[in-house]
Amino acid sequence: METLRRVEHIMGLPISVDLRDGDAALAERAFAWLREADAQFSPFKPDSEVSRLDRGELSREELTPDLVEVLSLCDWYEQSTGGAFTARVPGRGLDPCAVVKGWAVQRAADILRQGGATTFCVNAGGDVVTAGEPEAGKPWRVGVRHPDLADQVSVVLGVRDGAVATSALYERGQHILDGRTGLPVTGLLSVTVFSDDLAIADTTATAAFTLGKDGIEWAASQEDCEVFIVDEDRRVYSSPGLPVHIC
Amino acid sequence: MKRAIPVLALSVAGLVPVWLYSPGAAHEGELTEVAAPEVPQQQQQAAPQTTTSAPKATGSTPTPQQQQQQTQQQQTPQQAQTRSVSGPAVNTSEGTVQVQVTFQGTKITDVKALRAPNSNPTRMALPLLRESALKAQSADIDTVSGATATSDGYKQSLQAAIDGAQ
Repeated sequence: METLRRVEHIMGLPISVDLRDGDAALAERAFAWLREADAQFSPFKPDSEVSRLDRGELSREELTPDLVEVLSLCDWYEQSTGGAFTARVPGRGLDPCAVVKGWAVQRAADILRQGGATTFCVNAGGDVVTAGEPEAGKPWRVGVRHPDLADQVSVVLGVRDGAVATSALYERGQHILDGRTGLPVTGLLSVTVFSDDLAIADTTATAAFTLGKDGIEWAASQEDCEVFIVDEDRRVYSSPGLPVHIC
Repeated sequence: MKRAIPVLALSVAGLVPVWLYSPGAAHEGELTEVAAPEVPQQQQQAAPQTTTSAPKATGSTPTPQQQQQQTQQQQTPQQAQTRSVSGPAVNTSEGTVQVQVTFQGTKITDVKALRAPNSNPTRMALPLLRESALKAQSADIDTVSGATATSDGYKQSLQAAIDGAQ
């Protein structure tokens, strides 16, 4: 089996696949799905299903099961955060991107698994899904970027089959809005969530961010989620179950 | 609701120094002086607006159950003993809440909700978070988790170096 590495920019994200036991055709299937997902769910493409729904051209009954799934995830997290996390920020169009990203990348990883791959690492803009062991007996070493120092990590997680997502402010500026106020959220610098599934990990990280400091306890109490959170005072809060890798 | 459980847990936690304290005759007065200020402070941090619904846990008026615990503690004053303590059942607007806190000596090792309303999507597992200072390291890693959204950001990122794409 060959090792294959490929990077492509889809959904505005650099997506890297490090596939240790698959072929180029399998990797292409995963990337093809991500391009499809972008075409279907992007609020920036006028003919996407999301844009058509937002313009009232589709009724709820006409939606694809995939979009219904994405919207129910959005609703669940909106309820759970009391509206801080929302796909419908007042004055803006429907934007389910925060859920779509992790959800679509998790499905890309599932495509690799279903295609027979057992050992791979997919990284989509810093959100990671891993499978198997890159070396016998060793987990994938997933470094969590230091919020202030781009070339350093603040912790390393050892992950076999799992997902790690980080929501942070260091690069995008203040891009995460509190749905209750429409204002940029403050309080946290970086929220990292480890879970079995990237849709859960990624949405939990983003939703926690929208809650500010209240998000620390909220995220840690989510089922099957372990957290590593840095607040604006550079204090770190981590779950005892976090799979910290001792280098 | 989300706040009620931490408040209850902290209230139970606040009682522990009281229960674990083995007073000598000369120190009897310290029981309330030492323990009492701690509890309201913790409650304030956790949920300032729920103090009215929080149980009274100042330790100044022990219930018969507490007195019994105290007596047991005096008889077996082992420091690193594991014990579970159940807090009072408290009625909230969404149902009855009761927590159990497990201690190893004076350290909390587990908190669980004995009774909690089943009102989804509230989750009942109460996390015990570790708090530490932020550290920086340049470790050997396979991939990087971080918020890398832009192409420019990616080009300069650790992940790009790992992908060999610089």
